[in-house]
Amino acid sequence: MAILKKSAVWIGYLAALLALPQFFDSVLAVSIFNQMAIAIVFGLSYNMLLGQGGMLSFGHAVYFGLGGFLAVHALLMIEVETVYFSIIWIPLVGGFIGLLAALFIGTFSTHKAGTVFAMISLGIGELLAASSLIFVSFFGGEAGVSGDRTFGPPFFGIEWFQNLEIYYLAVAWVFIATVFMYLFTQTPAGKMANAVRDNPERAEFIGYSARKVRYITFCAAGLFAGVAGGLFALNYEFITEENLNAATSGRVLLSAYIGGLGYFIGPIVGAVILTLMNSLLSNYSDLWMLYLGIMFLLTVMFLPRGFAGFIMMHQLAWVRGKIKSLLVPYLLTGIPSLLFLISVVGLIELSHTDEAELYYFGLSFNSTAAMDFILIAIVALGSLLSIRRSLPQLRAAWEAANEIPESVDEESTS
Amino acid sequence: MTVLSLNDVTKNFGETEIIRGVSLAIEKGEKHAIIGPNGAGKSTLFHLISGLYNVTSGSIRFKDQEIQNKQPYEINRLGVARSFQVTNIFARMNVFENVRCALLWSSGYKYSFWHLLGRQKELNEKTMHVLEQIGLQKKALFPAGELAYAHQRALELGIAIASGAEIIMLDEPVAGMSHSEAEGAVELIRRITEGKTLIMVEHDMNIVFDVADKISVLVYGKVIASDRPENIRANAQVQESYLGEVVTSA
Ligand SMILES: Nc1ncnc2c1ncn2[C@@H]1O[C@H](COP(=O)(O)OP(=O)(O)OP(=O)(O)O)[C@@H](O)[C@H]1O
Ligand SMILES: [Mg+2]
Repeated sequence: MAILKKSAVWIGYLAALLALPQFFDSVLAVSIFNQMAIAIVFGLSYNMLLGQGGMLSFGHAVYFGLGGFLAVHALLMIEVETVYFSIIWIPLVGGFIGLLAALFIGTFSTHKAGTVFAMISLGIGELLAASSLIFVSFFGGEAGVSGDRTFGPPFFGIEWFQNLEIYYLAVAWVFIATVFMYLFTQTPAGKMANAVRDNPERAEFIGYSARKVRYITFCAAGLFAGVAGGLFALNYEFITEENLNAATSGRVLLSAYIGGLGYFIGPIVGAVILTLMNSLLSNYSDLWMLYLGIMFLLTVMFLPRGFAGFIMMHQLAWVRGKIKSLLVPYLLTGIPSLLFLISVVGLIELSHTDEAELYYFGLSFNSTAAMDFILIAIVALGSLLSIRRSLPQLRAAWEAANEIPESVDEESTS
Repeated sequence: MTVLSLNDVTKNFGETEIIRGVSLAIEKGEKHAIIGPNGAGKSTLFHLISGLYNVTSGSIRFKDQEIQNKQPYEINRLGVARSFQVTNIFARMNVFENVRCALLWSSGYKYSFWHLLGRQKELNEKTMHVLEQIGLQKKALFPAGELAYAHQRALELGIAIASGAEIIMLDEPVAGMSHSEAEGAVELIRRITEGKTLIMVEHDMNIVFDVADKISVLVYGKVIASDRPENIRANAQVQESYLGEVVTSA
């Protein structure tokens, strides 16, 4: 039964990945899906470090980037026929390089978790970003290096001209990588990573060197970050210093955090949200980075366990069949919250715009008229008041749905 | 046969000498209690034996090897397991996983990333067995950090005894437990350490005289007596420096 349920989840995951382009098949959609696929693998690998192993890294893009660079170089080698293999194996090249880099860097970075580890990861990141601008022949300087994925032997007639083809290849790799990263959490090394995260001192008294446990997790994370880098190389056919610098490292931390560090699916959720925000929001507003920052702050403050944690919070109510009782209170608070958000964003956009006229949600506003500002502000204020009124209701409904009946209360604590 | 011996061990923290030349010999199968007033250095002595601290001078032998400056995990692998006075568990993992992790090394899994734990039938059964012994089978899936205090103490003990190490060191295993819980725990300790060597720090003299077949009295970093329980009870110096008040008050 449990096994059946588990395989159902996996089949559902694969089916969802495969089905996406059936529903949205525009060029933009497929390019977003490709980004998502890359972000999922990268995010999951980051969560191996932070969520599973308790290592806060500010330089995880190093393994992603190195994997990606080598992958592009491999594409170039395929092109000039130095090597001869199908490009479907490129993510493995990336993974291999990510692993090698981690095998080396891990020898001195995993002695301690905490601040020491974080600082070393930051240092390595800076070091590599700097040297990527120095060793131009390998990293290509500011312009980066580019390749062409259409060389090499075709794979069952596929020559990888289209992004959609690459998407299906990416799905295969994303699925394989996800399965392996999940399985890793179920092994002795994977469980000990949790133990060392929780309490490195005690781990040493049950026979495990905390450093070695961290090292293994670190290497596994490097491997999968490299696979993600390889996928990146296949999708974009070029890579630059930007893909291994601190900004990229910061984004993956953000995405894993927003998704939820404590849950295996957290980074998947985070990758989907962040990719959507990245690519859709940036089309609508050049302030999207600001909104991303605000969202991160709100998540840290109100959803410390991320979106996955928010979903999981409803487990108890769900099991009890009480989830329905939350629906109306959620709507009563959710709709004004949305309205509040929209009006605040409207205010920001209106004060930011250079044009006299701003089209926002189908309405036209005048950025020079005080009246328009006041109007939006009134909506914001109104929705805020409405939230204040409905919030106690939501809280009460939540408590009612999650109340622990007296009878099954802690019996045995005495 | 002596399994563990300390030879003139000292430990300084900065200028202060906390352990001031301790020599002890612990026989195989012995139930050895270490008693002494607060701050005498009992826990420090445990930390030295188990490898958390390096000794300042002196040596510690486990069977035929010197272990004084080995890492905790090396000493543990030789067959020395311990519990802590202050609960020291894996807080975010559930109770089952806490105990299973404590079994991994002794079951030979090492750093394996190719065994799936869900499929290790024998290991999982062993884990459940330990949980039954410490009375936490109903809490198996409960996050360890959210357990009631007494249950955390039981888990602390469970992690120490799970692997069935040859020497089991328990630092105030029943501290903070209610009377009946303590009784249960003592019963468990007795059962689990049958045929094994037990070193135990304990303040409750009833338990000490009940369990131990040898008692060492540590006062101000020195062993002032190490003998059979009846002789310790009769020892005038021990009476004066420590036992007197405790025994009468107990
Ligand atoms: N890491 C340390 N650094 C400095 N001093 C320490 C350290 N650890 C212990 N001490 C000191 O060493 C002395 C002995 O401490 P220890 O914890 O070994 O006593 P104990 O016999 O276990 O006492 P209790 O019965 O209260 O548990 C105390 O005075 C303590 O303050
Ligand atoms: Mg102590």
